[in-house]
Amino acid sequence: MGPAIREKGRGAGRLPGAVAFCVLFFALCPVVLPFLLPFSFAEEYTFDVSEVEKKPYHIGGYIEFYPIVFGLDKNSAMYKLNFYDRSVGGTTEEYNGNLQIEASLEKGVSRAYMKAYTSYTNNWQTETTKTTIFEGYLSVKPSSSWVVDAGKKTMNWGKGYAWNPAAFLDRPKDPNDPELSREGFIVSSVDYTRSFTGRSLKTFSFTPVLVPVYSGVNEDFGEVDHLNFASKFYFLFHDTDIDLMFLTGGSKTTRYGMDFSRNITTNLEIHGEFSLINGYDKTYTDENGNVFKSSYTAKNYLIGLRYLTKSDTTYIVEYYRNGTGYTGKEMRDFFSFIDTGYDRYIATGNTALLDKASNLNQQGAYGRMNPAVNYLYFRVSHKDPFDILYYTPAITLIANVDDKSFSVTPEITYTGITNLELRLRTGIIAGAGGTEYGEKQNDYRMDFRARYYF
Amino acid sequence: MVRTIIAILTGIFLAAPAFAVDGTRLLQEIDRNLSPESYESHRKIINIEPDGRKKEFIYYTVKKGRDKVAGLFTAPASEKGRTTLRLGDNMWLYIPNVGKPVRITSLQSVVGGVFNNSDILSLDYAVEYNVENVEEKDGEYLMHLKAKTRTVAYDRLKMWVQKDKTLPVKIECLTEASMLIKTLYFKDVKDFGGGIVRPAVLETDSPLYKGYKSVMIFAKIKKREFKDEVFTLTFMPKMESLR
Repeated sequence: MGPAIREKGRGAGRLPGAVAFCVLFFALCPVVLPFLLPFSFAEEYTFDVSEVEKKPYHIGGYIEFYPIVFGLDKNSAMYKLNFYDRSVGGTTEEYNGNLQIEASLEKGVSRAYMKAYTSYTNNWQTETTKTTIFEGYLSVKPSSSWVVDAGKKTMNWGKGYAWNPAAFLDRPKDPNDPELSREGFIVSSVDYTRSFTGRSLKTFSFTPVLVPVYSGVNEDFGEVDHLNFASKFYFLFHDTDIDLMFLTGGSKTTRYGMDFSRNITTNLEIHGEFSLINGYDKTYTDENGNVFKSSYTAKNYLIGLRYLTKSDTTYIVEYYRNGTGYTGKEMRDFFSFIDTGYDRYIATGNTALLDKASNLNQQGAYGRMNPAVNYLYFRVSHKDPFDILYYTPAITLIANVDDKSFSVTPEITYTGITNLELRLRTGIIAGAGGTEYGEKQNDYRMDFRARYYF
Repeated sequence: MVRTIIAILTGIFLAAPAFAVDGTRLLQEIDRNLSPESYESHRKIINIEPDGRKKEFIYYTVKKGRDKVAGLFTAPASEKGRTTLRLGDNMWLYIPNVGKPVRITSLQSVVGGVFNNSDILSLDYAVEYNVENVEEKDGEYLMHLKAKTRTVAYDRLKMWVQKDKTLPVKIECLTEASMLIKTLYFKDVKDFGGGIVRPAVLETDSPLYKGYKSVMIFAKIKKREFKDEVFTLTFMPKMESLR
């Protein structure tokens, strides 16, 4: 019999004022907004051609206010690792302000594009403002069959919604927010596309990519001083999207992948992804902090579906097997090692073991978004429930299948005002001792996001 | 025996008007009157809520041949850069922030409101429907259409057609059990130039969305030829370059 789910919440404390205000604001939106917004019952529709005039440049993006409250679990391993020398209350707050700017300039067959992301963060640990160029590249399109890109770019390979085991050239997604923009890598790529009429194969694309990894260029991609080569082959074959991809070159071990996606009916889509990583090196620890390495061929795969009901409820389900992940025992050993390090710190003030654990967490694979092997993602969202307009409630479950720990996140999004999107979420994190989610530093989190597009 | 033959021949002769109209040809003619086989257009889509509030989208569309349609949202800012693609029964949505096309289904709606994806990325009616029957009355044809496959969004259509212009006036979209899903109203016939004379406004309502209404207004429709490669996933992020 497995261990019982531990109730993680303990005296969470007060709800900070900013978040309480946000909750109230959200609740009052449907009552107040109809009186604030201009509206008309007129049946005359106008559409002036000047509204569609194209300019050679574009500047747009969004600005957002994003406060978060974390309810801390003071008994968890990750709390001990991150807060062992600090005294904080039952909750901690973080205030974020983010600005994303996208700009493009088009001339003839050329186009320059840039996406910059500036984030302001204020929490118990730090107050920082950071600007990152997520993407910035030059694109030349001599014909509709050929596109040549050079610069910093996200490739976004793979068909999975929450995870992409075949996205060899991308930073990992956050399954809690899979649609967030991510920073790209400096690459040069070519897209060649060919369409066919009256055949089973309707489209073929070939995308070769060069990824330089040298001092100062893509250093966080992998081992430096290598010019890596990757390719993707796309086929629209018998109404199914199929991609085949590989990456080789030395910064990472050679890897191969494939994905597919297909509409089964007018409201059901299925997709899948597979990747094989040659010579994957796994670094892991036992409960005493002895570090081991093993090398093997890692097999990762994902299978998922998206289903829309007649009542406008969307279900997304994905199962992900992470062949590079840690088994339940390996995860438990890591958490035991943190506990040992914490006990030693309390007894002697010596942080050596905690430093080693922190290093494994940050440099090694334990600190990844999803460090274990088997995961389930399940999301249900429903548009305009009970005819309450512009509200989309949703609930998302991310579960570690092996240790039966999970996070469940109810949320509500409001889009009733043009270009403004409001989202309120609460994430509840639960699991027994020694499990992935049971040992996270938070019991719960509550966040509010007000995003304005311009 | 002779009487029987005469009766059958008379019956056939009297029934002849019912078969006088070639339904398939009529449907093809309606398709061509609504739009050229390959074209570009600018539309505004307006969702109107029961309290009168509106949400507007501006959408640039290109179409080629029988089964290739693509679209680009140019406004509002929150939707700008989103593109959609349809190749036969396959549909995709590209969201710039997500950075890759994801498959969508015909019954979903990328804009909310009463129009679903198959309304917005519509193909020629003759591509998706067979004509089962055509009735003639009061200067109109009433056409009964049946979907060719189960992947088509509406199993049956009842199409009222203005005889003199050969343009639809109203279409009822029905399930297999003849339950009404939505009604499309074609209004405000306008000369778009280049020989294209068609309704500039398409309104829809639905018993499933009581009090809601969606409207599509066409500002420009122009014949234009495109390469097949424009209608591919690789081209979706580059659609702005067509305008």
